[in-house]
Amino acid sequence: MAKLTVKRIEIVALLEDSKALVDYLQRRGVVELSDIGEQEQLHKLSTASTVSMFEKYLAAAQNALRILDRYVPVKQSFLASFNGRRQLTTEEAEIKTGNPDTVLKSCYEIADLSKKIDETAADIAREKARLDSLAPWLGLDIPMSVRSTAQTEVFIGTLPAAFSTGELLALFAAELPGAAEIDAEAISVAKDQSCIAVICHKEHAQRVHQALKDRGFVRAADTGHQLPEEAAAASEKEIARLAAGREAYTARIEALAAGREDIEFAVDGIVMRIDKYRCLERLALTDKTVALSGYIPEREAGKLARAVEERFTAAVSVSDLREDETPPVLLKNNAFAGAVESVTKMYSLPGKEDIDPNPVMAFFYYCFFGIMLSDAGYGLVMVIAALLAKKKFELEYSAKKTVNYVLFCGIATVFWGAMFGSWFGDIIQVVSKQFFGRPMGSIALWFEPVANPMTMLLYAFLFGIIHLFTGLGVRFYMLWRAGRKLAAVLDVVPVYLLVMGAAPLGANVVVAVPAIVLTAGKYLAAAGALGVVLTAGRSSKNIFGKLGGGLYGLYNTGAGYLGDILSYSRLLALGLCTGVIANVINLLGTIPGNKVVKAVLLTVVFLFGHTVNIAINIIGAYVHTNRLHYVEFFSKFYEGGGRAFTPLSANTKYFRYREETNNA
Amino acid sequence: MLELLKTNLGTVLAVLGAACAAIFPGWGSAKGVGLVGQAAAGVVTEDPSKFGKVLILQILPGTQGLYGFLTAFLLMVQINIIGGDFAPVPLAQGMMYLGACMPMAVVGYFSAIAQAKAAASGVGIVAKRPDESGKAITFAAMVETYAVLALLISILAIFSIAGLSVR
Repeated sequence: MAKLTVKRIEIVALLEDSKALVDYLQRRGVVELSDIGEQEQLHKLSTASTVSMFEKYLAAAQNALRILDRYVPVKQSFLASFNGRRQLTTEEAEIKTGNPDTVLKSCYEIADLSKKIDETAADIAREKARLDSLAPWLGLDIPMSVRSTAQTEVFIGTLPAAFSTGELLALFAAELPGAAEIDAEAISVAKDQSCIAVICHKEHAQRVHQALKDRGFVRAADTGHQLPEEAAAASEKEIARLAAGREAYTARIEALAAGREDIEFAVDGIVMRIDKYRCLERLALTDKTVALSGYIPEREAGKLARAVEERFTAAVSVSDLREDETPPVLLKNNAFAGAVESVTKMYSLPGKEDIDPNPVMAFFYYCFFGIMLSDAGYGLVMVIAALLAKKKFELEYSAKKTVNYVLFCGIATVFWGAMFGSWFGDIIQVVSKQFFGRPMGSIALWFEPVANPMTMLLYAFLFGIIHLFTGLGVRFYMLWRAGRKLAAVLDVVPVYLLVMGAAPLGANVVVAVPAIVLTAGKYLAAAGALGVVLTAGRSSKNIFGKLGGGLYGLYNTGAGYLGDILSYSRLLALGLCTGVIANVINLLGTIPGNKVVKAVLLTVVFLFGHTVNIAINIIGAYVHTNRLHYVEFFSKFYEGGGRAFTPLSANTKYFRYREETNNA
Repeated sequence: MLELLKTNLGTVLAVLGAACAAIFPGWGSAKGVGLVGQAAAGVVTEDPSKFGKVLILQILPGTQGLYGFLTAFLLMVQINIIGGDFAPVPLAQGMMYLGACMPMAVVGYFSAIAQAKAAASGVGIVAKRPDESGKAITFAAMVETYAVLALLISILAIFSIAGLSVR
């Protein structure tokens, strides 16, 4: 229920067993191998080239999977991604291992096919462009490359304006009167371009060309030796051929997609091998033996040591860590506390002197989350979603934690929502009033924050003080445990007194506090302040330093705790935000007068509006609950900076071996 | 005419306050969400699987708009423009309501934009080190504190003004 104790394990085995031994350790996944430094008479393996070879294979296989996803996507609902990895027994795994070369070969083939499909697509696009450029010339009955015959000159090209055949002929009749041998034809006419062909006797060529040039004539760039019609037909045939080819390639990829599982399995296998070979560099070898050293959680150590000694000719020793060693961190909590581990991890894992904060913070975490989301209906949605996920999917370690997180946050939300009388906002009151004509009052078990925001604000501060005091209490415990009992008392007790004394004075601004409490508060606060002044500067050597440090400490404590406590006002703000917007949604749904229209509109607005409101406010509650823990709570006792325990394990993505003890 | 103004100026000022509370934070949030959205789109071009992570960052500067809306709505309920028997607001109270809306209106606008900048930089964290995306969220969330504080002051003021007997 906290940080697990980590031990040092050392194994010496026969060299011939080394591969089997490392394989076994990887399947068990409980040992983090450390590097045995260079020592005399020990040599080390260099596996860099093997690793880089496997990395090349891995890239090929992953690339093949990406291509398969593109051409033959696996239909999978979003929710199904909660399902764990597929399970395989060792025997199934051995059958699957089959022939890795065939798998790699199909990976390369898939990559090759994908490249060919891309090339074909480019070719088809090129042919289509050619077809487009030929389209205006289809009526031309000579090849476009013709420039002249023995007696005639041929002009094939475009004019940047609309010219019909008649207009062309009229043009030449006007420009070259009497030259009857000019034949002009507009092949196609568009608004700002005419494709024309003009044939004239060589003697007129100069003048015809000039007349055309004056009007912006440009010779056609395409100079195919075929008739345009034939060229277009050839292009179309080519497109058909290419498309058939593309279909064949795609069909082949679809056929190869049947081997997707094998490729996934190969990816898993390659990843495992890369991990393993990286670890092999940390071993030390003699001519006949292999030595390895690593970290292991204490509770696994005995079991593993026995198992290794049974299976291999090996000597195993398990020992405590040296004082100066910083062990890697492995957390073990029950479901309730374990679900907030990810929040702690996001901040930082506990450092060497830290305790695991999760058991202490879990209760507060869910509680604050509930107050901020503060709608029982939204909480129910979370609880139901979590329970469904638990029932429908086979959840793995981290997914299970996420689902538990949603579950516990949901339960807390239902609790606080019921206390504050908010079920999808005020939907119960709204339906009762609008459809049954019976106005209803509050259904809060405690009180409605919207109606009494000041009361809620004070409670928010109270919850904050309890939270901060708990954090300080942990600090007290840690110092006490470390043998610094005086420091524990002096650091914590004056702050308790100061805050407890000052709190009623502050609350008196808003609500009437009994005079006796006020008087007690004054003395408590004074005693606390005096305590801080006298003790905060105790590390200083001379009396002025002590006094200055004390005063500075008082200022720091006062300002710091005031700011910290005020920060808990977000409990009220976010709660109001959820509740009021939920009410607005219900209000929007009840605008029409007709009851049937009202019912329909309310249903639609209810579903859509509350879905959006849940999503936004869950994010808000998550972010701000995290903040209260990171900034206000952790700053009281938590250092962080731990390094995660990363054992050599089967770190696979698609398959899971049944014997694997998946606990890290 | 003068009489009409005298009776209704208080209400007008109060509604002006509600409008400010809805306009400026909403404006800031729209700018902010857009800003982060641009940065997020860049990341998703490279790696569509990061969509979920950057989406959370994009939503963060959107809350100011919600807070502004909340303030405006509560004020309109308070002066019975929504769901109640309307009665003109006394001039002094109207001015107070206008003042009460200012923290949310001003802080909401600027904090949304400041938060968007932090979140847009956070998108860079998600792009390069997706495992650390939680920290990016935390950085952006730090800015939000000030919007929350402004919201609280605005709301508490709105609730308290109703109880004052000023003419």
